[in-house]
Amino acid sequence: MSFRTPLSTARGLGSAKHGVGHWLSERVAAVALVPLVIWGAYSVILLAQLDYYGAVEWIGNPVNATLMILTIAISFMHMSAGVRVIVEDYIYGHLTKAAALLLNLFICGLAGALAIMSILKVALGGA
Amino acid sequence: MATYEFIDHKFDVVVVGAGGSGLRAALGCAQAGLKTACITKVFPTRSHTVAAQGGISASLGNMGEDDWRWHMYDTVKGSDWLGDQDAIEYLCRNAPAAVYELEHWGVPFSRTEDGKIYQRAFGGMTKNYGEAPIQRTCAAADRTGHAMLHTMYGQSLAHQTEFFIEYFALDLIMDEGVCRGVTAWKLDDGTLHRFQAQQVILATGGYGRAYFSATSAHTCTGDGGGMALRAGLPLQDMEFVQFHPTGIYGSGCLITEGARGEGGYLTNSEGERFMERYAPTVKDLAPRDMVSRAMTMEIREGRGVGPKKDHIFLHLDHLDPKILAERLPGISESAKIFAGVDVTKEPIPVLPTVHYNMGGVPTNFYSEVVTKAGRDPDKVVPGLMAVGEAACVSVHGANRLGSNSLIDLVVFGRSAALRCADTIKAGATQVELKPHMTDGHLARLDRFRNASGGTSTAELRLEMQMAMQEDAAVYRTSEALASGVQRMNAVSAKRPDLKVTDRSMIWNSDLMETLELDNLIGQAVVTVTGAHNRTESRGAHAHENFPDRDDKKWMKHTLAWFDDPTGKVKIDFRPVHDYTMTNDIAPFPPKARVY
Amino acid sequence: MVQLRLPKNSVPKGGKHFPAPPGATKVKTFKVYRYDPDSGMNPSWDTYDVDLSKCGPMVLDVLIHIKNDIDPTLTFRRSCREGICGSCAMNIAGRNTLACIHGHEECPGDKISISPLPHMPVVKDLVPDLTLFYAQYASVEPWLKTETPEPQKEWRQSPEDREKLDGLYECILCACCSTSCPSYWWNQEKYLGPAALLHAYRWIIDSRDEATGARLDDVEDPFKLYRCHTIMNCAQVCPKGLNPAKAIAEIKKMLVDRVV
Repeated sequence: MSFRTPLSTARGLGSAKHGVGHWLSERVAAVALVPLVIWGAYSVILLAQLDYYGAVEWIGNPVNATLMILTIAISFMHMSAGVRVIVEDYIYGHLTKAAALLLNLFICGLAGALAIMSILKVALGGA
Repeated sequence: MATYEFIDHKFDVVVVGAGGSGLRAALGCAQAGLKTACITKVFPTRSHTVAAQGGISASLGNMGEDDWRWHMYDTVKGSDWLGDQDAIEYLCRNAPAAVYELEHWGVPFSRTEDGKIYQRAFGGMTKNYGEAPIQRTCAAADRTGHAMLHTMYGQSLAHQTEFFIEYFALDLIMDEGVCRGVTAWKLDDGTLHRFQAQQVILATGGYGRAYFSATSAHTCTGDGGGMALRAGLPLQDMEFVQFHPTGIYGSGCLITEGARGEGGYLTNSEGERFMERYAPTVKDLAPRDMVSRAMTMEIREGRGVGPKKDHIFLHLDHLDPKILAERLPGISESAKIFAGVDVTKEPIPVLPTVHYNMGGVPTNFYSEVVTKAGRDPDKVVPGLMAVGEAACVSVHGANRLGSNSLIDLVVFGRSAALRCADTIKAGATQVELKPHMTDGHLARLDRFRNASGGTSTAELRLEMQMAMQEDAAVYRTSEALASGVQRMNAVSAKRPDLKVTDRSMIWNSDLMETLELDNLIGQAVVTVTGAHNRTESRGAHAHENFPDRDDKKWMKHTLAWFDDPTGKVKIDFRPVHDYTMTNDIAPFPPKARVY
Repeated sequence: MVQLRLPKNSVPKGGKHFPAPPGATKVKTFKVYRYDPDSGMNPSWDTYDVDLSKCGPMVLDVLIHIKNDIDPTLTFRRSCREGICGSCAMNIAGRNTLACIHGHEECPGDKISISPLPHMPVVKDLVPDLTLFYAQYASVEPWLKTETPEPQKEWRQSPEDREKLDGLYECILCACCSTSCPSYWWNQEKYLGPAALLHAYRWIIDSRDEATGARLDDVEDPFKLYRCHTIMNCAQVCPKGLNPAKAIAEIKKMLVDRVV
């Protein structure tokens, strides 16, 4: 039982005075992903028709490599932001929440970095 | 008797009720540095002020020339010369400042093209002492009361007024003629509370639910009036009950007079705009008592509409749908929900419906409660004030003009607060309360809580409502009123036979309705007894056996006391204040009331 | 984790049945949530077979008929009975609405369930505890803030600026919207909810108010404002036909305008 006044409960910790940046970045990422995902789908269809060397050569093209990196990076950022909201919505425990948020950040960061590194490696001729 | 314990509170001022007048008074007291509590049985924004639609009158002159003197003349004439002219002067002079104050607090008034507060025409409001209708009623579409109440609640949050919400006031703590506070029952945990204060302000509203069909909310049970009667204080002019001409046929929900102010008109079964016959100058914008009588007369003479020829049509279908959407959106919605009518195409079926109580706890224009003691008709009851519909200042006299009630709330709510600031010292020592002052309160609560007679609260309430509806209606006769007195005495005598089913203390709405019924019964009894006693016709009291106003004998206020245990009524009188407050204006002498 | 099941003492169990009186012609069954805090018992669902020829067209008329003639212990809030005071908000046939303007004919099926507003503590029967809801309303500081000395008369406001308040100031604080919002269910203590945010916007957009920036600061918060995921239940259930979701979207737009 808490003896806080209702107003104190309603005010809570006060306003963080931020949030618009996060909200805006979600929208910007979503807008960016529209053409990128269309391009990505088109690329996958294209890549399926190519053999190994053809694919390496395709990724070696700076435009393709850049777009591929952007698609991957923004997708992981977007995913991380989305999962973060879900965690914030449904998980209340302090520790569990912090752990879930860290896990989300680390998994998305690691997977994203790994994917980008792989593209760079192929694109920069390491294959 | 079970043992009950009080939780004690001490304040400078306790306001009972959180409608327009209660909030205004509480706000003013808090601003003046007095420790103020506001006790209310419903959350403040659910008080019935929220349902006021048309507007609030003040001679701002935004739509053309206006003068507070014209407003005063209209109010005196509207009251059929039963209003106290000093109080009416106070009201009309202070009205514009009160409206500007509301605007500064944020009320979203509708606007004119040049950004000023929009004002509309209302019944009985005229220019140049009765020449022609004038636009004097400041409006926020047709939700003025709602806009005001929510804004005032917001303001009281800004000024840290202390609210006690869902506390049901039980009785006034009286100590040899002095009011020392009030007791209350907290609904959500069932505890009892004793609020001590230097000044108690009753702002408990009217008792419209004494009738079967009323525009009033279910909570309009005049609890302050009931408490005052039990405290041995008289109520004044209770026989004057206003019927609003346009309650929706069937449900009784209100259609604002502003509908006629915007150009709406009434027709009978022959399609005739009959108000032209009854009030040639102002027609459909005649005062409410006259329109209600005209409608009743039309129905009686067989010109009512509908299969039973028992109601009248209100036409708005000739108005521009854009105007309807902008200025009358709320009633358009109500007409759709409760009458199934599209106002842009069809007329609304309406009937005169109980709407407002001109009577109440008598006060002077400082809002201090007065009583008659010996030869002194203006004896102040120390420690007690009353404002709003619960009070009888009396600015409305025998008939209130539309939009004069909202202004009454804020002007006299403010006057009460100013008086408190002048007469009370914050934190002054108060006498110790003794158990004998509240023993009766507990006994009454316990009696009703354990009531196990043969009549349910709903049955007795219906019996009262039907008696009032049938015998104290728009038109009254000696015969009907005599029957009404008899029937109401029978209802009053049945109180010991009441039966309450729920015995709990937490949110026991069965018990609360019973306590409310008890409050209603006392007021209904004095209403019908006062009406039977007044052998003349004046304002809302239309007596068919005495169709004329009799200024010689009856230009006086009725005072009625109700002896709770025996149900006996004692009647006396107070003179009408036929003088003004200042020398700026001479009183208006009585003359024939034609429009 | 978010609690998806009711606590043990809140699971409804059993309930009484009140059959229609003999000779009733037009009978409909109402299943009403009952909880008596004094009894120490779990809540229950009582069923009432109501003769509709004995009562008016609205669900509130049915409840009043039950209270007057069948079971006086039934408890609910009610006042104006015309949809302006906001007292009788409850969940009727699965939808939050005002009992006084919701016709029983409008409810599908022949058994109508009536329960208190969802996800609020219940005080008794159909009476929920709205304390937090009111405090959230208070926390947006719902009053006009100005610093410029007040004019002798009114603050001027153009009809166009006044029109911006339409669809906002009509809110009756019935809480139908907030208690229908899943985001509010899960994060009641941190998310202000649609009603409070609608009121925040009502003052932000008022041309007379001089605290617009501070008001925007006060709501710019990942929880207070941005828990709105545009689920739109608020707009769907509002008995006054208002659109709190749109008001919230407008606040978000203004916050963007401030930085872009």
